[in-house]
Amino acid sequence: MKARILHRADVLKIVDLLRQQGYEVLAPFCGRGRDTCFEPVTDQNRDQIQIHLPNPYYPPKRFVFPHIERLMKFERDNGAIRIEPVYEEGKRAIFGIRSCDVAGIYHLDRFYLGRDFRDIYYENHRKNLFLVNMVCTDVERDINDECFCVCADTGPAAHDHFDLQLMDMGEEFMAVAGTPAGEALFADPIFRKGTDAHIAKRHTILDDVRKRFKTTTSWFSATVRYVSQGDILEKTWEEIGNRCLECGGCTYVCPACTCFTVSDRQVGPNEFERVRIWDACALSGFTRMAGGFNPRKAVHDRRNRRFFRKLAHYFIQRELSMACVGCGRCAAVCHGDIGMPSVVEMIRRATAEMDKNEPVSH
Amino acid sequence: MARSLTTCSFCGVGCGLYLETAGNQVTGVYPSVSHPTNAGRICVRGWHVHEIASSPDRLKAPLLKKNGKFQEVTWEEALGFTATRLQEIRDQYGPDALAFLNSPRCSNEEAYLLQKLARAVIGTNNVHHGTGVYCNNSINVLIEMLGVPAATNSISELAHSEVIVIDGVDLARRVPTIGGAVLRAKLGGARLIVVGTRRHRLAESADLFLQIKPNTEALLYGAMAKVIEDRGLANLQFIKARCRNHETFLAQLHQYDLLEAAEGCGVAAELIEAAAITYARAKSAALLYSTSMEERTRDSIRAVVNLTLLTGNLGKRGAGIFPLSEQNNLQGVCDMGMLPDRLPGYQPVANGSARGALEAIWKTKLPENPGVGSRSVLANAQNKTKALWLCRYDPVSTASFADVASSLRQLDFIVVQHLFMTDSAQHATVVLPTTAFGEEQVSFTNTERRIQLAEQVIEPPAGLTPAWEQITRVARLLGADWSYQTASDVMEEIGEVVPFYSGAGYDNLSREYGRQWPCTKDRPLGTQFLLAEDNGEKPFQFVPVPKPSYASASRDFPLTLVFGNSLYYWNQNVLIRHSETLKREYRILSLDYPEGFVEINPDDAKELSIGDGGKIRVCADSGSAVSTARVTAEVRKGTVFVPYFERELEKQIRGASRDGGLLVPVRVEKEIA
Repeated sequence: MKARILHRADVLKIVDLLRQQGYEVLAPFCGRGRDTCFEPVTDQNRDQIQIHLPNPYYPPKRFVFPHIERLMKFERDNGAIRIEPVYEEGKRAIFGIRSCDVAGIYHLDRFYLGRDFRDIYYENHRKNLFLVNMVCTDVERDINDECFCVCADTGPAAHDHFDLQLMDMGEEFMAVAGTPAGEALFADPIFRKGTDAHIAKRHTILDDVRKRFKTTTSWFSATVRYVSQGDILEKTWEEIGNRCLECGGCTYVCPACTCFTVSDRQVGPNEFERVRIWDACALSGFTRMAGGFNPRKAVHDRRNRRFFRKLAHYFIQRELSMACVGCGRCAAVCHGDIGMPSVVEMIRRATAEMDKNEPVSH
Repeated sequence: MARSLTTCSFCGVGCGLYLETAGNQVTGVYPSVSHPTNAGRICVRGWHVHEIASSPDRLKAPLLKKNGKFQEVTWEEALGFTATRLQEIRDQYGPDALAFLNSPRCSNEEAYLLQKLARAVIGTNNVHHGTGVYCNNSINVLIEMLGVPAATNSISELAHSEVIVIDGVDLARRVPTIGGAVLRAKLGGARLIVVGTRRHRLAESADLFLQIKPNTEALLYGAMAKVIEDRGLANLQFIKARCRNHETFLAQLHQYDLLEAAEGCGVAAELIEAAAITYARAKSAALLYSTSMEERTRDSIRAVVNLTLLTGNLGKRGAGIFPLSEQNNLQGVCDMGMLPDRLPGYQPVANGSARGALEAIWKTKLPENPGVGSRSVLANAQNKTKALWLCRYDPVSTASFADVASSLRQLDFIVVQHLFMTDSAQHATVVLPTTAFGEEQVSFTNTERRIQLAEQVIEPPAGLTPAWEQITRVARLLGADWSYQTASDVMEEIGEVVPFYSGAGYDNLSREYGRQWPCTKDRPLGTQFLLAEDNGEKPFQFVPVPKPSYASASRDFPLTLVFGNSLYYWNQNVLIRHSETLKREYRILSLDYPEGFVEINPDDAKELSIGDGGKIRVCADSGSAVSTARVTAEVRKGTVFVPYFERELEKQIRGASRDGGLLVPVRVEKEIA
């Protein structure tokens, strides 16, 4: 992948370039306290774009998979019914999307576009999306205690699936092109060729940043095996379920979660709309069937299902991507502290039970 | 766009969240990580608040019933007609023929102005909120014993509590963010004691679970207090310095006996003893109970406060009493005086000098006699009420204590302010559609006294105005010279009237995360926990609770039927019905049990050969009813639980005597079709 160097002072000009090309640019801004969010860039707020800040909590998946979106409308017209899809066109760029979230978008690409049925609504949002990935280098501001991208191998610098990647190297930034569209920006004079010294510096920075994360001897891979093989005791799932308050938050904030429901509602005397809304397998009614049968009525069955979807071989192979990107949002949003890191730890501790079944004999 | 921090308008936690908008619609929602109360977490209701806000079946124009049918009219006609009818009925029957009831989800501004309309313009103290029936006991007892009717500490302090006692309330279902705070406190080393009849989600994490027989709290806490006294674990220093009546309390405590209490409560004596010692030994212990829709007797609340005083768990971080308000502004509407016997700020109506002070500010004479509460008004047994104003309140759906629909049919005039055509609004003469969450800037006060702003992020549908503005216009039509231009103006006046809101102007409230009252001009940053100052007085008092006795189960009626109120409250709430997901989650019980249900313990069910979904007959001395069994391990063995919305069932079981307690001895039989 080609790399270029630019002055720190020129970084936000990338936003200007994209806007000139007709993109609606979303960039990170600070809110109240430590709250941050992606907002559309305007002439008024352009100078308040932040480079280093806590990763916005509301996940950027909402730009390809909205929290609520209109799919089609139905109109009654002289006895006939007219059905019209509602497609959103337009070009969007996300400036400052983190590496974990880039991996999340890739996972959603695999889910919504990678199989037999291509989701046209997702495709419309995605086809004109330009991703400018910002590498997390500021250990104080970019990374928080819940982050574990190094365990999910999605960060701190994404390897792929971005159009352009930016990395803060001090007075200069390094820009890496991930796609031809990203490389096309290099035509602008703010970019210049770098040297081997820049590449070396990049490696040093990434090395240093990794030290910020909590112990990386994660048990992730073993958890994947245990989950895939169904070797986790019911008792462990019950313990996890007892701490779940069924809010759905883990699903909503997860960059790699895809569940939704569809609802038809009347919006006028002769008009109905069909909307798609985020839903969560965490919720009891999600799998309830007409007739009343619910294969996952108990809360611990739903927790079981979530972590199976996140970690089991079957799904990793199907999507060619793990459904956890290590962003840590589920750990932050959970009332009962049963986000991914805690659950991995609980599973690890519970496998001490397995030792009792070791085939050791005299 | 999501720059404005706002507060959720569902339950009493008042989580900080952001609303995402596009065009003029609310298109998303997410929690605030920085907010001290919820710290990045919200519940399933909060996660779907955007669905409700964008719901298309809002009322768009005022409605006036002409010849039994609603017609859309102009605002002038609707408000003019309202003012005229209120005046006519007052002139004909006197001011006390009118009553003004609101919802505990009304904003501070609309609550304040509604009671001002009633008191200063109409001349009646008949003001109340829908949950009043249930939380009055708590307000009165806390004022009696502590001097302040609110949570003494803050939710974020639970992280520092050594011991947390959850009394009765199913935190996970009703105020999940607090449930989460408790769970995480426990993970951080706190010990969790759960007291209650139902084995709810948090009970699964309890260190000590005292699954008591229904309504035996007073006996339990009395026995615990006795253990604490006998073991010498009482906080004598605190008691001596700050409490009155300890001697009388002690004298009464002799009645209590641990073994007798164990028998009466149905809980092992060792468990009661362990709970008492654990609670008393803690450096700081917090106790949580619910005030909303759970009928707690005065004595059972007094027993809670006695225990807190005995151990000195007030005025320090991590301690305290949390009378939880389950609706987002129950605390606020009480602070604002939507109480028939108390003025804004809780001064009694009967107190002449308090009335005089308010008369000086409002420049009008105020009615002297306390009014009647929502229970009386909605039962209207003697037909005294002729006109009713309902602000965002839907008693036909949510009030279980009266046959509201038939009472409403008898009234001469009803005006309803709401977003949707609710069941109650169907009975109205005038329906005034109001703005919704996100369409107006108003304030709410959460269960930890935090006064917060709910921000306006979109324009309301054309013509719709905030409820407080409609109340203002009616007052003006009745001759009052009210001149509030914004909700902020209303809060300025609230600050003059309610001393502990005197610093809570909108500028101050918008700076960080609201302010916890008292928020005064001297204390503009608010107060995290109360009752810390020891100024040499003894502001607290013990109130002895005579040892209660309970009728033992008879052979004919061996089970106890509990009419549970707040557990399934949100099932009936009109907002929930306007979100596809919330409707599914909260009303799933109505789908699984379409003919209603009664909850029964699995062991009891097995003994009676009853399966989940099977038909059963519940027999009491006063009557019997047929229903469907919902078998759940949450219910205590020996109890049967009837959700509050099972009205028909309640009528049949109670028979002629409508006014029963919450408990009825029953027998359950399998019903052969």
